[in-house]
Amino acid sequence: MTTLDAYLMVALLLFCIGLYGLLQRRSLVAMLIALELMLAAVSLNVVALTSLRGDNTADPPASSVGQVVALILIGVAAAEGAIALSLFVAIQREVQSINVENLSELKG
Amino acid sequence: MTGPTLAALLAQGVPLAVCAVVLLGLRGRPRAAAALAIAGMAVSLAASGWLVAVVAAPGRTLLAQTVFLPVDATRSLAFGVLLDPLSVTMAAVVAGVTLAVMVYSTGYMAGDPGFARYYGFLALFGWAMQGLVLSANLLQTLVFWELVGLASFLLIGFWFDRPAPAAAARKAFLMTRVGDVGFLLGVLLLIRTLGLATIPDVIAASAPGGALAPRTVTVAAALLLMGVIGKSAQGPLFTWLPDAMEGPTPVSALLHSATMVAAGVYLVARLHPLFLAAPEVMRGLLWLSVATALATATMAMVAADIKRVLAYSTISQLAYMLMGLAAGSTFAGFFHLVTHAGFKALLFLSAGIFIHHAHSNDMREIAGREPRSRRAAVVGLVAGSAALAGVIPFAGYFSKEAILGALGTGAPAAALVLAYAGAGLTAYYAFRMVFLTLLPDAPTHRPADARSPGPAGAAAHGATGGERAMAATVLVLAALTLVLGWLGPWLGARLGGGEAARGPLEFGTGALLALGVVAAGIAVAWLEFGRAGAPRVGFVERVPALARFFGDNWYLDRLYRATVVRWATALSRAAQWNDRTVVDGATDGVANGTIGGGRLLALLQSGYVQIYVAVAVGLVAALAYALGTGGVR
Repeated sequence: MTTLDAYLMVALLLFCIGLYGLLQRRSLVAMLIALELMLAAVSLNVVALTSLRGDNTADPPASSVGQVVALILIGVAAAEGAIALSLFVAIQREVQSINVENLSELKG
Repeated sequence: MTGPTLAALLAQGVPLAVCAVVLLGLRGRPRAAAALAIAGMAVSLAASGWLVAVVAAPGRTLLAQTVFLPVDATRSLAFGVLLDPLSVTMAAVVAGVTLAVMVYSTGYMAGDPGFARYYGFLALFGWAMQGLVLSANLLQTLVFWELVGLASFLLIGFWFDRPAPAAAARKAFLMTRVGDVGFLLGVLLLIRTLGLATIPDVIAASAPGGALAPRTVTVAAALLLMGVIGKSAQGPLFTWLPDAMEGPTPVSALLHSATMVAAGVYLVARLHPLFLAAPEVMRGLLWLSVATALATATMAMVAADIKRVLAYSTISQLAYMLMGLAAGSTFAGFFHLVTHAGFKALLFLSAGIFIHHAHSNDMREIAGREPRSRRAAVVGLVAGSAALAGVIPFAGYFSKEAILGALGTGAPAAALVLAYAGAGLTAYYAFRMVFLTLLPDAPTHRPADARSPGPAGAAAHGATGGERAMAATVLVLAALTLVLGWLGPWLGARLGGGEAARGPLEFGTGALLALGVVAAGIAVAWLEFGRAGAPRVGFVERVPALARFFGDNWYLDRLYRATVVRWATALSRAAQWNDRTVVDGATDGVANGTIGGGRLLALLQSGYVQIYVAVAVGLVAALAYALGTGGVR
């Protein structure tokens, strides 16, 4: 297993944990946390694939592009978290619950 | 626009305006509606009367027509008036009878919840008939022809909440419709050939060497005649008219004298040269009308309902008019139409007073309720019956004499003999009606003195205004039966025809024979119904089978019910089944399928966001797998 493979395996693990949490937890906050895990897995993939591809050691700017993208992704995740949390507060005020099983009014 | 044209437009436009105002705005104000309708009809009568004075000169014809919708180079839709002695005389008759009926109805229909609606419909009827009479081209005639049918449908079924009038109105509408199919085809045939089928053009084109081939003329005449047969209740299509007695009695008076049924006869007189150019058709019409006249006279001989007697007599008299026209004399047929309008309206309005008084249509029941206390109606009934029977000097005598004269010159001898026989039967049933209605079952008096007229008659009992209006109308019409007969020479000079030369009192052997036949008919009626100790049973009624046969429209209604009506009903049922099951079924199936499909698909919308996520992830995974293995190209 190369170093890159190890990173990718960790990212896959993170993604699966996140997906599991997203599907299994009933609290919106926990689901958001799981979603952040999935996003972190993606960021990890981006960094690993750009830095450790093996043929770009002579080209530092290219290898650092992935790191920049990862930083932006963290920013996006922070903004997303802020919006999501404020929505959760609003939902809590409206229905006195953030349990996702209680939020099924759009049932057909 | 010249004066006569304006007057003609006034004569038909005012009733239309009245109809619209009454039906739209005055439904809740019966007195205002009646006053407006009567005033409007009086204007129409004045305009028509002025037209008679101005236009009705021998050989004078005025045609004013405006095209309002050109269709192509030769065809267009046009509206106009055709004024000649025939049309303006008819217009005056229509307006006069309608006005009389309107005045009379203030008493007869007083208190009816539909009073204003009734006057609206009467005005509609007046407008439709005036439009038909004055119309300048055949398409316009067709339009008003159908409007007349509509108005009579509305008025026959005026008491539509009772089953019998509703059924009678439906029957009248459908039976005349059978004939109207032919009429429509005839009009279309003429329009196809002649473009704008203006009536003078049609007449000119049907002359030998005109634009119409002889065969086309024959076909067109036969088709138009179908409409006439339906409208004027002739031959096989007459059974709607006795049933139409379910309408209010003044409506019957209007329907039977100057409007609805007169429309058919008027049309034949209007297009008389066209019909005469088809001699085969005229021969058929002659025999058809002879048969109708005799058959319906037998029916009138056994009817117990006074209005049915009058209805059968109307059919019989219409047949006489058509006989006169078929024998080639415009004057004879039209003269009888005019006099008949007067005395038949009189008879119905008199009968209406009795019915109003006795609350029954049955002649024997009326006789039991002191009918002679209604003096005006007694005068009207006797004068009208004398005119109907053809007693000199009442109007019917002169016009029937004109018809018999026309038959004598223009028809086979057999038709003439049968027409004389019919005149005898007419006298018999007319005076059977008089004796049955006016004499109670155990007669102690001689019949009421016919010639004791008295405007005081109606007022003697402290009559209400309405009853006075009824009595006054009847008395005016009764006076008219004595006057109208003398119009013969005047009318004859304007309609052409050799009969014009004959004065009304120039007795030939034919007239003496007719009077003899009439006297014989009256004498038989007197022996059987009139004299003290009379059996009060007619000679026909002694043979029960014959009486049943005559009393049941010669079983024609049964025949229709067993055949045409049954087939049509079966066809309608099949069509209804097709509509309900096949057409509606398909539509419902599509709708239900859509709804059901939607329900099924809606089950996928669980509302749980995590399931959506799972599905989305699953789909993306499947897509990625498929792309990875090259499964999708």
